[in-house]
Amino acid sequence: MNPTEEELVHQFSQPNRRAGAFSVIVRTYQERLYWHIRKMVLSHDDANDVLQNTFLKAWNGLDGFRGDSQISTWLYRIATNETLTFLTNKRMRSQSSIDDVEEVLLQNLKADTYFNGTEIQLKLQKAILTLPEKQRLVFNMKYFDDITYDEMEAILGTSVGALKASYHYAVKKIEKYFTDDDE
Amino acid sequence: MNSQRSSMKNNKNIMIEEMSKELPFGVPENYFDQFALQMEEQVGFKKSFARKVFRPWMYMAAMFIGVLLMGQIFYTVNKNNATNNAENYESYVLSQVDENSLAEVYVEEPTK
Repeated sequence: MNPTEEELVHQFSQPNRRAGAFSVIVRTYQERLYWHIRKMVLSHDDANDVLQNTFLKAWNGLDGFRGDSQISTWLYRIATNETLTFLTNKRMRSQSSIDDVEEVLLQNLKADTYFNGTEIQLKLQKAILTLPEKQRLVFNMKYFDDITYDEMEAILGTSVGALKASYHYAVKKIEKYFTDDDE
Repeated sequence: MNSQRSSMKNNKNIMIEEMSKELPFGVPENYFDQFALQMEEQVGFKKSFARKVFRPWMYMAAMFIGVLLMGQIFYTVNKNNATNNAENYESYVLSQVDENSLAEVYVEEPTK
């Protein structure tokens, strides 16, 4: 039986049990965090790199985790920051315009061995890529994962009202993308 | 999916909430198992060899085979003992009878 959050937090404080507690955390949250990252960076290889960085940051920051928030919220926060940092670095490395990075992401997605979507699913991904990064994040979390606005507020540090507005505008933009494309 | 596509083309007001929310991404086989092992290695977490390699069903299978082997050994030993006992008894009886008496038994038998 897996230990509870309280037990895990307690184990963090004991040096001989930290690695064991960390192993439980990795195995419990790796899939959720992977998909959270993958939806933003699109390619499997990039998602794998960001997920590794996320867990290494979490491991190095275990001392700083006092149990004020849930472990999942804490991990989502790290994963989100790592993802945004990755995209910023990619933007800087490409030394091109902001729009070009989205184009690169799309090309990577099409070339990715582990993309097995239909035409419609690819079109939806293209539409999502037209959104600003933060709005894309909000849209993905709500649309695909159905994360509550309260949880999103805890993870992203944005008010529920702002999140609702952001999601609403994202949906409208995507629907418009589909409508315009069909004309 | 074709019907979804055609209905989308016919309807100008696309409702994305009605679309499939299935993600079009895949991962390599056993990716998550491998990833967890890799992370454990990076932070120096070592499970005992037995815990890593052996699964509960393996323990059960090993126990079952053990019981079978024990049964086989028990059966063989018992069988050998029974054979030995019979041989011993025969030797004992023969040792109690002198050769003349024995010859009498065999010689007299046909005359009966």
